[in-house]
Amino acid sequence: MTPQPRQRLLWIVAAVFLIGWPWLTEDKFLHHVGVLIVITSIAAASLHLIIRTGHVSLCHTAFMGFGAYGSTISVMQFAMPWPVGLLVGMGLAAGVAALIGPIVLRLTGKYFVLITFLLGEVVRMAIVENAAITGGSNGIFNIPPPFPFLTNNRAYYYFALAFAVLGVGFCARLLTSEFGRAMDAVREAERLAECSGVPVIRLKVTVFILACALAGMAGSLQAHYIRFVGPEAYSGFQSLNLVVMNVIGGMSSLWGAMLGTVFMVTLPELLRGYVNLQQIMFGAILFATMAFLPGGLIEAGRRVAAFLRSRWPSTAS
Amino acid sequence: MFNATILGQVFVNAVGLSAIYILVALGFTLLFGIMRVVNFAHGEFAMLGAFALFHLIKDWHWPWLLALPVGVTAVALASLLLEWLVFRWFYQRMFESMIGLLGLNMMMMFGAVLLWDVHERNIPAISNEVLMLGDIIVPVDRLIVVAIAVAALALFYAFIRGTRAGLAMRAAAQDLEIAETQGVDTRRIYKIAFFVAILLAALAGALWGQIYAVSPLLGERPLLMAFIVVILGGMGSIPGAALGGLLLGFTESFVGTFYGAAASAFLTFGVVIGLLIVRPWGILGTPEA
Repeated sequence: MTPQPRQRLLWIVAAVFLIGWPWLTEDKFLHHVGVLIVITSIAAASLHLIIRTGHVSLCHTAFMGFGAYGSTISVMQFAMPWPVGLLVGMGLAAGVAALIGPIVLRLTGKYFVLITFLLGEVVRMAIVENAAITGGSNGIFNIPPPFPFLTNNRAYYYFALAFAVLGVGFCARLLTSEFGRAMDAVREAERLAECSGVPVIRLKVTVFILACALAGMAGSLQAHYIRFVGPEAYSGFQSLNLVVMNVIGGMSSLWGAMLGTVFMVTLPELLRGYVNLQQIMFGAILFATMAFLPGGLIEAGRRVAAFLRSRWPSTAS
Repeated sequence: MFNATILGQVFVNAVGLSAIYILVALGFTLLFGIMRVVNFAHGEFAMLGAFALFHLIKDWHWPWLLALPVGVTAVALASLLLEWLVFRWFYQRMFESMIGLLGLNMMMMFGAVLLWDVHERNIPAISNEVLMLGDIIVPVDRLIVVAIAVAALALFYAFIRGTRAGLAMRAAAQDLEIAETQGVDTRRIYKIAFFVAILLAALAGALWGQIYAVSPLLGERPLLMAFIVVILGGMGSIPGAALGGLLLGFTESFVGTFYGAAASAFLTFGVVIGLLIVRPWGILGTPEA
């Protein structure tokens, strides 16, 4: 079998599974987990774009927050329809990204991590302090769903899935394009890429704006699903969770980010009664991955496959 | 409201805050300068220091002056186990250290929540007396805290400047490979530097807990402050940490008193973000090649 049809088959199986599984069960809780995974996958994939240019952002959920608050406030206070709210939220996130991106993206490595950590804290403080607009620490309750018929978890799953296919598909397409190759070049050797004619800063800023707009989309979808927004959902800890998703899956591929998302969203939902224990476990995973397996689960899989192939060469061809 | 009494009072508070910030930041900057490790778990060692002091005084009824050094040293000694288990994997791997140690931070914080519960506790005051300097009221409690912090800083300075181990540490921070070729045992230097850094963090935490309150979430603020101080002064620079601590302590005390805590936080963050943009290596740091 040539790889082409095999790959096509894989895609068909994946599509059938994503569309079909909600009908295998009537359990609303599983549908709920499905919605969360789908929404979070957009956020994780957009952070993956930033990571692929060589920057680890610790304020990515702040941009989800811009999307969530932007869309919630335009829908609830200005009586706009949800699509307008979504665009306002994404525009707000992209606008802020366009403002700070050209400045902060000049910083490298540790300084970028530190400044985004502080920026996340500033955004959280700004939300808490401006209680008249944002509801302060109490947040905003009773957010309406995007459309009146989207009150059912299964329906919302398909709704969010459509956005996720668009968002994650966009990221995947971008990464396989020439633009994506330029991103990899910038990460691997910034100076060399610049010498080869890649406009480094412009490329980084473009990626940052696109990724933050996608994060805003995820934020809006999430706010109108959970039907509540509050500052704690967009704090540094949540940003860290997005980073963990990218790290444990493997930072070098989008598949890693998707794998990490499924893992990191499902586990807490299944371990609801043991919140503290679960955080300790995430911490341990984070530490162990960075210390011993910086390539994440994807690299682990590759190593196992290579090992098996070396043991039984006949079966692997 | 800007009369001499209030200004004097605020000045006294500022010195206390600065001293504690410098203690936390010194360890942080030491770990970065020598091992290239960004210790995101630094605040948690401060939390452990505070709990050690609390338990020695509350449960074991030790006198304060004995409980403080014993508790802090015990935390630093116990942390050497963490150095062996966790930290040594991240030496000279800056990027991995940041994310991996964020993991350690989560483990320690939530482990402490499981062990101690989130509620706040108070360490009994050392003394309830107050000293009157003219119109300025100085609680003796605060005065002792400041005196101890300043003494610790002086000892640290003497250690770095006056001993062979301190000399080796400074050499390792300047150029690791050349220090090694000159016969510096870096493995040993790492251990000593780690011990000293954690000792300072635990001491800062204990003093912090003495002034405010002790809880498993105590580590968050010192960590944030250590970040800010170190960015202000320059990562890896010891005089920079001292200068950054003074700047932050005084800003927080003065602006916080006259314009509120939120104003002081926004001002500090704004200045730090601005500084990161124009001079990311800090006021007294040196740019990397």
